[in-house]
Amino acid sequence: MDRQIKTLQDKNSYLDLRKQERVTLLEILDRALDKGVVISGDIVISVADVDLVYLGLKVLLSSVETMERLRGAPMAGAQEEPT
Amino acid sequence: MVIYTYGVIDSKDTIDETIFGLEGVGVHNVSYRDIGVAVSELRQKLQEITDADVLKHEEVIETLMTKFTVLPIRLSTIFNTKENLLSMAELYYEDFKDNLARLHNKAEFGIKVIWSADTIKQRIIDAYQKTKHNVSISSESPAKTFVKEKFEKHIIDKEFQEEANRCIAVVDDYFNKIACEKKLKRLQTENLLLNASYLVDKQRQNEFRQAFEQLKNTPGDLKFLFSGPWPCYNFVTLTRKPASVDYFNTEDMLNRLLAQQGLAQERNSV
Amino acid sequence: MTMNRTIETDSQEAFIEEIEKVQDVLPKRIDANPKNVEKGLAKLVLTLVELIRKLLEKQAMRRIEGGSLSEEEIEQMGETLLKLENKMQELKEIFGLKDEELNLNLGPLGDLM
Repeated sequence: MDRQIKTLQDKNSYLDLRKQERVTLLEILDRALDKGVVISGDIVISVADVDLVYLGLKVLLSSVETMERLRGAPMAGAQEEPT
Repeated sequence: MVIYTYGVIDSKDTIDETIFGLEGVGVHNVSYRDIGVAVSELRQKLQEITDADVLKHEEVIETLMTKFTVLPIRLSTIFNTKENLLSMAELYYEDFKDNLARLHNKAEFGIKVIWSADTIKQRIIDAYQKTKHNVSISSESPAKTFVKEKFEKHIIDKEFQEEANRCIAVVDDYFNKIACEKKLKRLQTENLLLNASYLVDKQRQNEFRQAFEQLKNTPGDLKFLFSGPWPCYNFVTLTRKPASVDYFNTEDMLNRLLAQQGLAQERNSV
Repeated sequence: MTMNRTIETDSQEAFIEEIEKVQDVLPKRIDANPKNVEKGLAKLVLTLVELIRKLLEKQAMRRIEGGSLSEEEIEQMGETLLKLENKMQELKEIFGLKDEELNLNLGPLGDLM
């Protein structure tokens, strides 16, 4: 009986230890992955796509302006077929 | 041979103590004027970073922290030549000096808070059902039903956000006055209500710890995680950014676009 | 050799679960493989369209909250929003894209949506 309990206890402490290690690693990664002295650029989007995204954001800006203008006339755009 | 970097330190002296870094290679100081970069030389560029590497990287920085002020460098920052490393140091020298002065004798602490988003939402939904909103939309058509559902979701989400802000303010209140600086990230996931980093002076670290003990014991359904002291990862501010073809400077770009939008709004209102 | 750094929590599992969710969303490189290029471009375009659609919805909700709309206007708005949502759903299916994929990571600024 006593030995069974001891094994269960060991298993729990083992799991707790693994969890603690996991938490530690995650906490470190939460910081060290993209914080601190970040001096090399993230290669997230390649050059061609950078242009695309920039253009995309510019298009977005115009749409927002249009939205603002349309705000006076309630949903005037609703008459047209959405493109 | 590549140069793996751990941190920028406020010293040009050689590192007395033997510190072992990744792949068991010793850590030494590459000095530039009155500061230095703690590095170790690896035979070749890391193909992939392992858990052990991550732990080692962190361990080296924390050991350095016992002797110097350290600006932790992001994981896996590697230079091909010493000349490149020194060019970088030259480029960022002012930034590094400013940060080293600002972060001297300080450490970072992390407070994370989890709440049950589902429980909070349910509470909001229950309250909403009881007091139906003034605006009543009769659902006679699929379009109206659609709008009604969207609207209810909107109201619930709005209240959810406000409840989150209230809750975060209560937690932050415990640490606000003890810390020098703070960075709060709210709702990174629905349940991760708060991921906060506080910059705390060495002399007030016990006080900070006590504040957490108090917070921990308040009644409520919040779960807490306390960690620290850490190297000041979240409080390194570099004003200089590299001009590189591969680097997409989102912050700069968005500021420019927002500024343009600001102008656009002014034009419309004239 | 480590400092007296402590990590203390009453719920390891809960935090492991949530933090892992956060770290899953690391910026991924858009594949330059020609087969995937179209999907990558579609993803970018649709992400921005989705942003606009969400902004429109949000704006509509605010107006309803403000109470300045007639029943007829709400009906019209509902029809448009419904059409937009259905159209987006169609496009997502055509390109085999999931909701979570239509997002942009803006680095230090977090996700677009």
